[in-house]
This record gives sequence, structure tokens and C-alpha cells, in this order.
Amino acid sequence: MSFAIDAGLAKRLASLRELGRARIRPVGLEADRAGHPLPPEHPFFAELLRLGLGRTRWLGGEDTGQEEEPPQRRVGEPPASGGERDHRVGGERDHKPGPALTGVLISEELAYWDRGVAVAFPGPGLGEPPLLAMGTPAQRERFLAPFRTPNRPRWASFAMTEPGAGSDVAGIRTSARRDGNGWVLNGDKSFAANASRADWIVVWATVDPTLGRAGHRAFVVERGTPGLGDFKIEKKMGLKAYESTSFTLRDCRVPDGNLLGGEAHYAAADGRGARQAGFKGAMQSFNATRPMIGAMAVGIGRAALDTALAFAREQDRLGDPRVRDRLERIHRKLRAARLLCWRAAWLADARRGNVLEASMAKAAAPAAALEAAVLGMELIGEVGGRGDHLIEKLFRDVKAMDIVEGTGQIQRVLMARQLVGLPRD
Amino acid sequence: MIDLDLDPELELLRATARQFGAERLRPREREFEAARDVDATTRRAFAEIGLAAVEWPESLGGAGLGALARSLVLEELGAADPGAALALDPLGPTFYALAELGEEPVLHEIARPLLERPGARAVLVWNGERRIELRAGRARGVVPWVPADRPDLLVVLDADSAAVIDDGIEALPLRGAGLRAAGASELRLDGAPVRRWWVDPRGARRALARARHYVASLLVGAMRASAEFSREYALQRVAFGRPIAHHQALAFLIADLATAVDAARLLVHEAAAALDAGAEADALCAAAFAEAAEQAMFVAPNAVQILGGHGFMQDYPVEKWMREARALGLLLGGVDAAREDAGQAIIGEPEPLALVRP
Repeated sequence: MSFAIDAGLAKRLASLRELGRARIRPVGLEADRAGHPLPPEHPFFAELLRLGLGRTRWLGGEDTGQEEEPPQRRVGEPPASGGERDHRVGGERDHKPGPALTGVLISEELAYWDRGVAVAFPGPGLGEPPLLAMGTPAQRERFLAPFRTPNRPRWASFAMTEPGAGSDVAGIRTSARRDGNGWVLNGDKSFAANASRADWIVVWATVDPTLGRAGHRAFVVERGTPGLGDFKIEKKMGLKAYESTSFTLRDCRVPDGNLLGGEAHYAAADGRGARQAGFKGAMQSFNATRPMIGAMAVGIGRAALDTALAFAREQDRLGDPRVRDRLERIHRKLRAARLLCWRAAWLADARRGNVLEASMAKAAAPAAALEAAVLGMELIGEVGGRGDHLIEKLFRDVKAMDIVEGTGQIQRVLMARQLVGLPRD
Repeated sequence: MIDLDLDPELELLRATARQFGAERLRPREREFEAARDVDATTRRAFAEIGLAAVEWPESLGGAGLGALARSLVLEELGAADPGAALALDPLGPTFYALAELGEEPVLHEIARPLLERPGARAVLVWNGERRIELRAGRARGVVPWVPADRPDLLVVLDADSAAVIDDGIEALPLRGAGLRAAGASELRLDGAPVRRWWVDPRGARRALARARHYVASLLVGAMRASAEFSREYALQRVAFGRPIAHHQALAFLIADLATAVDAARLLVHEAAAALDAGAEADALCAAAFAEAAEQAMFVAPNAVQILGGHGFMQDYPVEKWMREARALGLLLGGVDAAREDAGQAIIGEPEPLALVRP
């Protein structure tokens, strides 16, 4: 058992730390003061490209960047406290961090400096996982190749959520109708990150709402497609650096080649697995990202802790046991939350079931981080009321972490399905 | 890199402890509680498989394994019967004070006679508030409660020193709030001779950290058992046409109990890894103790709640785990002292949770 971060990853984290201090936090504060997202032409984005960031992790060709899906634990099986199976390879443990753990650690560090800016980073973003998981080689080439060495900051986006359907993705109403050698999409999408600046958006629609998940199809809708429009950049409580955008699809016609995975992906077999391929494609990316959202919450909470600590030190208040008590509690809860995130990611990397553990991390970390910001505000007192202190911004930013990718309540539903077989209806 | 798997030998150790707890302790917990002790047969069986000795040096008949190994065993014993776990351990956390502050020959001189006398008990008392006055080789003061009926040996630990007392210990029996299987008494020292007194602040801090880790591991066991038992009960008990576990108020609570147990265990394991690596672990152990004690007071009372009226009755084990968890969290200065130590460690650092050193 080890809780150590390997040297290679520590080096990456150290360089992110420098970028964070020098650029990420300042531009995050800039966007927060301005009250709107960093514009696509902001020099910060071009800087990121020069640093080699903002690219796809797709290597080209047949690479899917994906591990096979981890086996899911069944209800009644005891939660893995580690060690049911040994994952030694050739007698030696593999000490390289897996992609999930790497993602969790990097997410925490980025969010420590500014979570909103981290989401605004150019790149294929959440549009990438479905391309890698479901896309045909031709689709990956067509849509991801421009992100390999982009000549300008490019974004892609992912649109599942609708005004009437959040975590219950089976409830989406955006319709996809076959029409000759293409499809016609109609519906409303909400809160899609970076959508108005995206080269393309992965849009989820249904061919028949009565089919539930089996009716889902994912389409790549390209910028400028007639019928794609009404982009509305939402005004948010926090995380102002990136755009959360709602848009509409009005008789929006996309060619056959833009159906992710092609017809074969959805209709190849009559087995249940294949019928739900569309939904599974979406859930795959969700399962991988839950521990990352937890880690981002830890990052925000950590920023609140350090800022509160610095404030108390400056004001010479560390002798007050009430101040120390608050700091100790913040520190301990964040530390425990971080370990929950690490465990969920480690299980994913080891290809073991992690539905329960991922939801635990996603449920626990935002609560710990909110408490960090709340206690941090108490600690700075009236200074927090001014509206110009970093902790006040973190207090607004952090709330979203308990909402995105499934609220804390949804996580508890998922946990209860694992723990007590909570029925779905 | 981060790796949460256990070595196969630790897996085996954990399975052994789990089996011992399930077969030898859990079925007889009320008997032990009433007798204020475990019986000689159980004690012999426990000594034979060497579960108390996993962390002791080989020269003392131990396995020389580390804090993680000990923690795994204690969690399993705590999940069965925390009181019996203390009753079965002749040295308990005094081992840490003897090992950290005393030289190895002294450890032998003091510990071996206890190991040779079945049922002997050593008790560690945290003297942070100076309830016991040590002067001129004598100890005076009152300890309101220790989980033992007649301690054979007392180690009085404070921030700088440890004192060993094995004579003149007056023990007044108490009913005890929890952990009755280990006994309960008030200790009075009226000029008891101090057999050894070591001054070593570093050793004392480390002894306290390891003792906290010991108790935290038992707490994780007790709350795990509470959470598991109440989860299984909630799947059996039907109300308003379905298992109560399928009413969302309880389903969510059950999810939160499971999370609390895992969060506390992860902190305990992280502290164990630091102890076993010889790294600075005082603050980690203090935080693990505080988290385990706090979360146990979330989990155990809610387990009673899930069982409703049955939970309050002594036919079920959950009320006992609630009392035992509360009692464990009061040891070694309790949550306040642990939080104070953890807090003091934080305020000296600019970024106490940085992933890479600033």
C-alpha cells in the first residue's frame, strides 16, 4: 500500500503549479471581476497552445485512448477495501500512474488555481471521450485530428443536459429523425461548456423517447450547421471564466457520417448491451469523470484553506483555538475527500468496479470543499462580505461541484443501488 | 505510486483476524460484557494465533510487522467486539510508549512478565492535563476511568515523558459506559512508586501518535460493524410495503454511513503508511483519530436509529457498538486533544495540503 505520487507526475504537477500561480489564478480573477467568460481570443489561450496544452490525447489511427470498461460490482458484494485481486504484472507492481489517477491529481491542482479557467482550456474537452469510445476511425480522424497540433485555440463541446433532463439522461427530448442520407435534429440543450466557441458539439438525441436509453443517438454537430443557434451564455454565481451555454437545434440537418459510431454501433446486435450502446457511451465518460469532479472540489477547498490560513497568520489570529479548530476541520475533511477520490480513480485504473467508490468521492468532496469555503468566510469575517476576496469567489465557485455530473443526491441514489439494491422505479 | 492493494500476507492476516472475530468474539460479546473479561479458552486461542503480537519485535515473540498490519487486525477485532479486543491485548498501546521511550532490554524486562501471566493487562494513560503528579519518584492523582479492572502495569504518558508504575495502583471498580469486556475502574495513585521515568519529547509524541492510531483502528472496526449490521437489517425489515432500505431517507443515510466508514479508514491507512515508512506521522495519526472518533459518533448512533426500537434493545449489537465507540473516542485525551495537535501541525505550514512541495 502506498500513498506516494511518483516522480514523473510530481514534475508535471510542479509545472502546473507554476502555470497556476503565474497565469491561471490571475486570469480566473480577471474573468470573475469582469463577470463574463474569457473571450476565445484571450492571449492566455494562445499561450497554452505554445506550452503544448489544449490538444487531444488521441494518438491517431486506431488508438481509442480507452481501457476496457471495468467490471461492475453486483449488489451485495462487499465494497472493495482493496486487494480482492492482485494486479501485479510479471511479478512486479506497475508503478506508473494510470490515466484516472493522473486525471484526478491534475484536476485537483488545476482547480486549486482556478476551476473555471481549467474548464475554459482549449481542447476537445468532454467531447473527446465519446469520440474515443464510440467514434469510428474515420470520425476520430475527421474530428480529433485538428486538435493534434492546433494552429489556433480550438474547442469542442458535449451537450446532453436539457432544460428538463439532467442526471436522468433517459429523459432527453431532443429528437433525431432520419431524413434521406442524414438526420434532422430538433430540441433545446442547456449548460454545455464552451459550446458557442466549439468547432463541434457532441449532441445527444433520441430517435424515440418511448425507447428510453435504447433510443439515444450521439451526433457531432459542426459549427455553422444551419439550425444550430440561439447560443445563450448563462450568467452564473461563480466559475465565470468558462462559458456554460444553452442552444437550440431547429430542423438542424446533419449528414450520416456525423452519427457517432455509425448505425452499426447502435443496431449491430439485438443483445441488451448493444441496444444500450448509446447510453453506455455517455455513462462511460461520466463514470470516469466523477472522481475528477471530486478532486476539483478538493482543489477549490484547498485554495480556501491556504487563503484562510494566510489571512489568520497575517492577522495574528492563529493563537485562537476557534481559528485553529476551523482550519483543522477543513484540512482533515479535505484530506479524507482526496483519499476517496484517489481510491475511486485507482480502482478505475486497476479496471475494477468503482461505481460505489466514484459516487462516494463525488458526494463527499464537494461537501468538504463547501465547508472549507464556508468556514473560510467565517474566518475572514466581514472581509468576506466585501465581495472582492478570493475566499468569497471560492465560496461561489465551489457550489457547482455538488451539482455537475450528478448532484450529491443523485450520487446517493447510485450508492444506494449498489449498497441496498435501491429499485430504479 | 498510489497503490491501495494489500500484500498477500497482509490479506491473509486480515482474513485470520476477521475469522477469529466472527467465530470467537461476536457470538459471545454479551457474555464477555457481563463477565467483564474474556474467558481463558478464548484468550489462549488468541495468543496462539499471535494477533496481539503482529507489531511486537521478534525478540518478544512478535511478528515485527508494522502499523498497517496492526491496524488491519484491530479493525477486524473492533468490528467484532472492541471491549474484548482490549481485554485480549496484554500490552495494548503501552507497547508504543515502552518501545519508543525505553531501550529494548527494558521493553523485555517490563513486558515479558505480563506476557507470561495470562490475563495480565497494561494500561496507557494520557496525562496531558497533569491529573497525575510525578514527583520524587512517586505518582499521585486520580484517573476517572480506564478500560481495565485491575491494571497490572500503568504507563503515564505526557508530551515529554513516560512513567512506568506497577505497584501501588488502587483500582475502584466502575460499571463502565462501554468496553466492559475489558473491565472499568477508577485509578487512584497515592504515592505509587515510579519504576521507570523516561524524558524524551520526540519519543513521547511518537508513542502518542501510535496509540491514537491503535484506537482509531478499533473505531473504524466498530463503525464498520455498525454500518454493515444496520444495512443488512434495513434490507430485511419491511415497512409500508418495502424494505426500509428502499425508503430514500434511509437509503441515503446508509450511503452516508458507508462513506463515513471509508473516509475514516482511508485516513487511518494513510497514517499507517507514513508510520511504516518512518515518516513524520504525528499529525496524520491525530487527524485519523479525530476523524474516526467523530465519524463513529455519526455512524454508530445512526445504526441504532435504523434498527428503531430493536436498536435500543440489547438483543442486538448496535447499542453496544454505539457505547463502545463513544468510550474509545474518549481515550488519550479524546477528540479535543487530537484536533489540537493536528491543528498545531497545520498552522506552521504555508500550504498544508499541497500535492507537491511549494
